[in-house]
Amino acid sequence: MIRIPCPHCSARNSAEFRHVGEAAPRPDPSTATPEQWRVYLYERSNPAGWTTETWFHTMGCRRFISVERHTVTNEIRSARPVGSTGPGPAEALSARGDAGSPDAGGQA
Amino acid sequence: MIGTASRRLPAQTGELVDRSRPLTFRWDGRDYEGLQGDTIVSALLAGGVDVFSRSFKYSRPRGVLSATFVDPGCTVQVDAEPNVRAAHRRLAAGMDVRPQNVWPSLRFDVKAANGLVGRFLTAGFYYKTFIKPQRLWPAYQQVLSRFASGGVTSRQNVHGYYDKRYVHVDVVVAGAGPAGLAAAVAAADAGCSVLLVEEEYELGGHLRYSGEASLSMLSELRAQVAARPSIEVMTDSVVTGRYDDNWVAVMQRDVGGAIERLVKVRAGVLVAAPGLIERPYVFAGNDLPGVMLSTAVRRLINLYAVKPGERAVVLTANADGDAAAADLTRVGVDVVRVLDGRAGETIRRATGRGRLQAVELEDGTVLPADLLVTATGWTAPTSLINMAGDRPVWNPTAARFVPSGDGLPPTVLATGGLVGDGSTEELIAHGRAVGALAGDRAEGRAGGSVPELAGEPHPAMFRASTHGFVDFSEDVSSKDVVAAAKEGYDSSELVKRFTTATMGPSQGKLETINTIAVLSEATGRGIEDLGTTVWRPPYAPISLGALAGRVFEPTRVSPMQSWHEEHGAVPLLAGQWIRPDHYGAAAEEARNVRENVGIIDVTPLGKLALSGPDVPKLLNLVYVNKWSKLAVGSVRYGVMCAEDGVVMDDGVTGRLDEHRYLMSTTSSGAATVWEWLENWLQTAHTDWQVHVTPVTTAYASINVAGPKSRQLMQRVVEGVDLSTEAFGYMKVRQGRIAGVDDCVMWRIGFTGELSYEMHVPASYGLHVWEALLEAGDDLGIQAFGVEAQRILRLEKGHLIVAQDTDGLTRAHSAGLGGMVKLDKDDFAGKPELAWHERDALATAPRLVALQPEDPSAVPPEASQIITADGGILGRITSSRMSPTLGHGICLAQVDPAVAAPGTVVTIRLPSGSDITATVREDLAFVDPEGVRLRA
Amino acid sequence: MWTRKGCVCVPETWTPVARSAITVPGPRSVVDGWEVSTRRSSAALRLSDASPLAKVSVRADPDGALAHALGVRFRSSHRRDGILVVGSGPGEWLLVGGVGAAHQIAEQVRGLAAGDFVTAIDVTHGRALMRLTGRDASRALSKVCAVDLSDAVTPEGAAFRTSVAKLTTDVVRDDAGAGTGEPSYLLHCERSSGQYLFECLLDAGMEFGVEPSGPTVDGGGA
Repeated sequence: MIRIPCPHCSARNSAEFRHVGEAAPRPDPSTATPEQWRVYLYERSNPAGWTTETWFHTMGCRRFISVERHTVTNEIRSARPVGSTGPGPAEALSARGDAGSPDAGGQA
Repeated sequence: MIGTASRRLPAQTGELVDRSRPLTFRWDGRDYEGLQGDTIVSALLAGGVDVFSRSFKYSRPRGVLSATFVDPGCTVQVDAEPNVRAAHRRLAAGMDVRPQNVWPSLRFDVKAANGLVGRFLTAGFYYKTFIKPQRLWPAYQQVLSRFASGGVTSRQNVHGYYDKRYVHVDVVVAGAGPAGLAAAVAAADAGCSVLLVEEEYELGGHLRYSGEASLSMLSELRAQVAARPSIEVMTDSVVTGRYDDNWVAVMQRDVGGAIERLVKVRAGVLVAAPGLIERPYVFAGNDLPGVMLSTAVRRLINLYAVKPGERAVVLTANADGDAAAADLTRVGVDVVRVLDGRAGETIRRATGRGRLQAVELEDGTVLPADLLVTATGWTAPTSLINMAGDRPVWNPTAARFVPSGDGLPPTVLATGGLVGDGSTEELIAHGRAVGALAGDRAEGRAGGSVPELAGEPHPAMFRASTHGFVDFSEDVSSKDVVAAAKEGYDSSELVKRFTTATMGPSQGKLETINTIAVLSEATGRGIEDLGTTVWRPPYAPISLGALAGRVFEPTRVSPMQSWHEEHGAVPLLAGQWIRPDHYGAAAEEARNVRENVGIIDVTPLGKLALSGPDVPKLLNLVYVNKWSKLAVGSVRYGVMCAEDGVVMDDGVTGRLDEHRYLMSTTSSGAATVWEWLENWLQTAHTDWQVHVTPVTTAYASINVAGPKSRQLMQRVVEGVDLSTEAFGYMKVRQGRIAGVDDCVMWRIGFTGELSYEMHVPASYGLHVWEALLEAGDDLGIQAFGVEAQRILRLEKGHLIVAQDTDGLTRAHSAGLGGMVKLDKDDFAGKPELAWHERDALATAPRLVALQPEDPSAVPPEASQIITADGGILGRITSSRMSPTLGHGICLAQVDPAVAAPGTVVTIRLPSGSDITATVREDLAFVDPEGVRLRA
Repeated sequence: MWTRKGCVCVPETWTPVARSAITVPGPRSVVDGWEVSTRRSSAALRLSDASPLAKVSVRADPDGALAHALGVRFRSSHRRDGILVVGSGPGEWLLVGGVGAAHQIAEQVRGLAAGDFVTAIDVTHGRALMRLTGRDASRALSKVCAVDLSDAVTPEGAAFRTSVAKLTTDVVRDDAGAGTGEPSYLLHCERSSGQYLFECLLDAGMEFGVEPSGPTVDGGGA
């Protein structure tokens, strides 16, 4: 299991984190074209090599961090608090553990 | 006289057996006696048993070959445990040991008949024979399972206790032979914590059975280890794998009350010191019981004081073979001939019925013998360094693969026989240097140099002039490898897969080199070109129980769980939560809410305390509707959409005071929403002053619902005016409930009834719950569960996110389009929702209420709504029998073509039959005007 | 003490009883408004419920006035005036004090804020708190926790959040709080999983002879 050198907590097993994915900056919603917006939502470069990606330290500091990782060797070059991006696309849906769980919120 | 220790030798120096402690055990239904310190196999050999198993394909009798863990013929069943390695496992009193893979018995094996048709079971036999026709596969499977080796597990076996442990050390040393021991000591002396792992029960490797000089060196090394408390020793344990960032898996057997323990080690430096494995020789009859490796003979004599035979022929190409011959002579075995492989001498074949009876030499001489010892070379177990990135290379001088030295990270080192040959002193010196280097690297220092350990010249001996087995576990002969090469399977990896050589339980530790050597012979390509196959984890077998470990599945319960259990609640597992589904009669619970008053435990509802001046900005961003004007004392229903416009969660948020809010989410969405809010605050709006604190279980949440709920509340609430005028619908108040301070209550109506949701400091949850039941006794109060709540909300037409919506449902398709406020500056998913509203409204699915025409019909959820010719127009997302109305009620996602009120649609049931239903005017079946909940 | 409200008898004054999320076997009694087990263990390794202690979650600028006043950074802790101050996250603290002291602690914190944006929330009821004490405490904990528990990495006073038995758990190495000179860990998690964590730790400590114990509600705070 690889270790993520969390800039807040020190190195921890990757199982403590959620891999959010390659960083994708959020376009200005007031001017974005559908094409631009969908690049933000869906298009990732997925390189075999160095990539800058966001991890969320779910079971630690609960901070979003930005990690430079080599996708072939898993070498990590840097890990720092996340810069200004946005939450990304299906963020919520991918993290949703148990869809269909029988409890909804209150209703109007 | 079966069972007496007829082959037990007098005391040997360094023996492990304790003659003062005899042990009785059973083998194949008869009683035997062994000694404390014996392995199962050494005890049986001493008792006159030669055959321990039948081979996998041809059912040939098999005895001792290597006398180690990987010995392919020594796998047995012990009590309820299958696949026990009997040449490794220590004997214990009362063991019931049985042969496995024999039918009906070890002595008379029906499958041995396969030996007669052996020539038909050639390489690729399974692939070729059992491919077609497909309909016969089940029959093939029955036949094949008869042939499959493996013991018997009982369905009655309780799951054993397996353990797990995390370890952080500077240096892990895998293997405790002379080099490994020296490395551990040197690393400890460099100031490191060390974990020393040894597969056998004692430290020392080959020093244990190599004469008195070795034993005295060993006792010194052992004393050095014992004197260093920074070295933790694990015996009967194996390093099974090395993974990223030196994550090292160690399987520890029979420890701390557990059957096996998986130790997950984060190591600074891993030192691989596995030693060498002696390689079998390929010739006709090389699997006969009585044919043994030289190290097996030396182990049996010196560790267990067992005489391995009476008349021996020895084929030796190295010093260990010579030493074996000397050991045999010393203990009185008649060594009739020693053949020197270094001088080009060899044998032709071994013969015998059921066990070795004679050895035939190249010149045709036949020597009667019951023991044939071979010492023809070594295999370096390059497994761990292979996993760390090294690709071993062929060393023709030493006639074995050795580490290439390239590709290893600085945190993985090798020492001992794996690297090269040398005297014990040289091995120890190498180990010491590598251990010191490991210590330096673990401490972040550069470290010194390591002496050379070259491979000594060794004749390249793989096969005699006859064909024999290359893989004893899989019954693959050298002839099969040659045949495979002729069919075009001419690389190591292809031959492995086609013949299954090296794929059996010993995983190539004995077989790989011979397979490649025979392939080299058949193809004319050099071994160095063919290369070895890649070793992958695990190095040694691990039980699934050890991998699974103990079950860690966090569960969550509310403070009222004990009450639910005492009152017959049927549990419902929702995510990690255990909740009451109902208390016996859900429909009755629902009816009571409509008529009297009910309470439900809704603690799992996600709750987030939001504080700070910028909370309204955050709410405006994450909800599709508007929040700027939410007054203190009010709550509002909100819908969240993800950036793709898909409905993500819903809930109400109340403003408790100027800068303090309480947000509720669905229970399944609680963690997601919390992370999502943090994401916005940490990545997009770092300047906003908002703190989000999860308080889901800081409060016990109880929903009080029903026409009599105000009456009930008046009896338990202090300090809050509960009149409609003072505390209206969608308002929030804070006060004291049943004597408990700091409670939050708000008026909402998921059930469609007059209802209060109270959030009580969780430690008082049970107190308040019981107080409500007591105070409401004369009002007909009843607890209700999740199922009744689902019925009630469906009667009211309230959707559940992720049940009535799916991963593609945008707000408009959930009937929530009216809430989307595109005139807000920005909110999550706004562009997508804007484009959806502009372009896709006419074609997107819609959420509608359906009433089956047959009042008794309740189409199961996920039933499809179809066209006349069977096309799909939508699906039922929720359905129940309404206890209030007495007919079936449904919500459905449907094509807009059939969404107009009054449309009659056809629903196809899972049974295949169709029913019809009418689209209703309103989503709500009960009280569409909302009179009841606003009461 | 009963009076008529509406048409049914209800107590005029309620006597609320608080209950921990953790069930410790043994006889029970009500102490300081909490129903607790009175079982005490003197085994070599003890796991005790400490849930009744007051717990206040604090959020503030990690470099602001409050951070300075608290004097504790993330990953460390210290005890002052009977209150254990834990740096539980970047800009996040957990204050643990005597039973019933949450409001007072929160007020104190707000007083220290000096106008900074600060949030102090009583999470006494939202967290389960337990203490594992004994010579083998770290060996037992290392069976369910992947963080290095050696003195070099997590010495006395160290605080960290990690996965313990697959549950997000805050751990504080707090030998001083146990007052016995033995290694001791305070562990806290979401209340709803308190019983789960307690049972996992009992299981992990089995080979070291662990015994459960009722709340240690000593006056000295955590």
